[in-house]
Amino acid sequence: MSRAVITGCGVVSALGVGARAFWDALGEGRAAVGPIRHFDASRFPTRVAGEVPVLRTDGAWLREYLGGRLPESILEDWEASGALRDRKIGFGWVAALEAWRQAGCGEDASDTWLSMALGLEQAFLEDFGPLLRKEGARTAINWAAEPGASLPRVRFRSRIDLSADGLVRMLGLSGPVVPHVSACAAGTLAVAHAASLIERGAATRVLCGASDSMVNPLGLGGMSRLGAPSPRAEPDACRPFDRRRDGLAIGEGAAMFVVESEERALARGARPLARILGWGSTQDAYKTTAPLPDGSMARKAMQQALRRAGLSARDIGYVNAHGTGTPLNDPAEARAIREVLGEVPVSSIKGAVGHLMAASGAIEIAACLLPFQRDCLPGTAHHRERDPECDIDVIGERPREARVEAVLSNSFGFGGQNATLILGRGT
Amino acid sequence: MSADVLGWAWRTPLGDSVDTAVGRLLAGERAATDALRFETRTYACRLGAPILSLPQCSKHARFLRRMGLFGLEAAHEALQQARAHGCEAAGERLGIFCGYGGLRAHWDDMMEGLSAQQPEQGGTWERGLKRIHPYWMLKHLSNNAHALLASDLSARGDGATYGGATAGAQALSAAIRALEAGSIDVALVFAYDSLLEPETLVDLAARGAATSGDLANLAAPYDVQARGFVPGEAAAALVLRRPGAGGALASISAADGADGHTSEPGPETLAAVASRLGRADTVVDGSGRALPALDAAERSVLAPLIGEGARLTAVQAAFGQMGAATALVQAIALAGCLRRGVLPPIAGLREPAEGPLTLVREPTPTKAHSALALSTGAPGLVGAVHICSPGGWADSVGGEWIRVPPAGGA
Repeated sequence: MSRAVITGCGVVSALGVGARAFWDALGEGRAAVGPIRHFDASRFPTRVAGEVPVLRTDGAWLREYLGGRLPESILEDWEASGALRDRKIGFGWVAALEAWRQAGCGEDASDTWLSMALGLEQAFLEDFGPLLRKEGARTAINWAAEPGASLPRVRFRSRIDLSADGLVRMLGLSGPVVPHVSACAAGTLAVAHAASLIERGAATRVLCGASDSMVNPLGLGGMSRLGAPSPRAEPDACRPFDRRRDGLAIGEGAAMFVVESEERALARGARPLARILGWGSTQDAYKTTAPLPDGSMARKAMQQALRRAGLSARDIGYVNAHGTGTPLNDPAEARAIREVLGEVPVSSIKGAVGHLMAASGAIEIAACLLPFQRDCLPGTAHHRERDPECDIDVIGERPREARVEAVLSNSFGFGGQNATLILGRGT
Repeated sequence: MSADVLGWAWRTPLGDSVDTAVGRLLAGERAATDALRFETRTYACRLGAPILSLPQCSKHARFLRRMGLFGLEAAHEALQQARAHGCEAAGERLGIFCGYGGLRAHWDDMMEGLSAQQPEQGGTWERGLKRIHPYWMLKHLSNNAHALLASDLSARGDGATYGGATAGAQALSAAIRALEAGSIDVALVFAYDSLLEPETLVDLAARGAATSGDLANLAAPYDVQARGFVPGEAAAALVLRRPGAGGALASISAADGADGHTSEPGPETLAAVASRLGRADTVVDGSGRALPALDAAERSVLAPLIGEGARLTAVQAAFGQMGAATALVQAIALAGCLRRGVLPPIAGLREPAEGPLTLVREPTPTKAHSALALSTGAPGLVGAVHICSPGGWADSVGGEWIRVPPAGGA
């Protein structure tokens, strides 16, 4: 059995573009949730987010980061079609190219799979505005108003297809494309999928990870109506494991990884950033919007991951929690962590970058590389008051210095999808 | 890597019961119609193959749209069938794997929030977003069918939801891997998709994939007059267990691939995926794209793999193209037909195109014990399933060919 290792990592987040910017900021204990700037959110109940510091994800921005990797004609076509306004598309491409370059991957990618997750499908108000028509007292979308080519087809294609399409063209990938859509656990499952392909020998190299953005009027509107975000439109909207926590902060961004077999990586001189040791996945089978209060299936996911990794609880030196800062998630997760791992340092980066939804698992795996890079455990932004309901060793706002050999990352999705991944220090 | 099939069920344009729909498939019927759920007179593609029944009343209707409800029905029914045959896995040993192709925005649900919008002028919250139903986000959650089914069944094992045109094949692959790894004992795989949404019809027509003809001149896949496929919809479910315990309806394996093409995958990708399931098959259910160049290329690359004389059929000529649900429907349909010892004809095939492989033009007796099925979708995606008999299907129905009526038209 081949051991899967991560040899490249790319990140786009509210803390900046690039993995280095992300790790630097986490290492310094910075947080980046703040007022939304790239559109007018002043009248929304939720007005803050972990927004990537770029106003327009247009062709000019992408050219800066992609160089000539994506043919100009494609970039122009997609920009003209409006597809690039969907921020998660560009975020995913930029993060993927960074991971690709960091891994030292060359031009030949013909054997590379793509396992990725992308968030809820979104389109933009201006896409369908011209198609609205009055039918008596009601308004409907006149889809067939301009049949055929006059409707830019790219507009209606699935965002995950578009993102994959761009990556395949940019990097010349030709392996299977596996889109994971298991809500907020999707990014973790995409990386676990990649590791399983490597372990089974089904693939030699997989580009994997996730990208998402709901920081747009529809995403913000839908989440606001659902009542998931904190009612406080403040930079400390998300306070994971804090007694005063009252909801999440929406975030956006991407994290992508190159995963390959350890033998192959070492043979070509690549330096593994981490080894993927184990993973587990379970279902709460409880409620769509609330976790199982006793955290029992989250616990099972962690136990599965430990078993697969061949590790015991004391081998885990750090836990990157799902830690949404919602009243229900944090106590259930804390209970599960305590029962499985006992006294272990735990933090959540959602106070710093927000909840990246489908990409949350992926960016938190990127955060889990920090301990291996710099012997530094990320802090928990805005965690100030301990909650007896969350009886675990929460790392506060300042990062903690420590050398650890294995770390565990939890991701729990709407609908009760639980996923856990364990990483070990690279060789 | 394969698994035993212990139960199956579907909701298809040819009917909701497997026996009924397989019977209609073998009779050469096709489900294409111009009477869709919405007015299509001004659309470039005006035909579709819809499911004609309505979902049963369900407490989950708050969170799921029509196709998701069909998916849940099929999943419950398949598991009930498996349990009737002694399959008892539950809790952490029962895993759910879902293929969901419909990652679409469903704007009709949003009109309350959208109808007064003037995008260039801002004020989007006051103009309507504040009136979006609180459950809108949940209703469009990509894994909500999975979550609700898990809750219904207390299924707490390994599982995930996959998206895209070949998500059904990917869910099957993942389930079989989980069974092999031992993380679960039984996998409930379900998939649902509809290509009969307004924006999907617009898209399919714009890229020339869907037919722009009418019922009178509709040509089947592998017909010289073929001008694109008929968009369809389906929900289907299979219950899988590790091989060897006996009592299986069929044995199944699955694979998928992609090649980066913007629309349909290239023929070499079809061949590569087919070869991963390579067996000595004499029956292939083709991807049925109904475009002469693609149909011919598919036949050319499959012939060296499975032999010039292998039989080629296309169940999607009857059902329409079913997106993410295709692989599961193909598996059930082929197993159902082979169990009866008859190959299904390519519905509506009038002028067969020349080329390798023998097109199945009418219900054809067979003793084949296995079949390969291929499906495709944009961008450049290929799905494949291979089904085979646990012990000789023709014999299992007494060695007598079941008589079916000759192939009919639409």
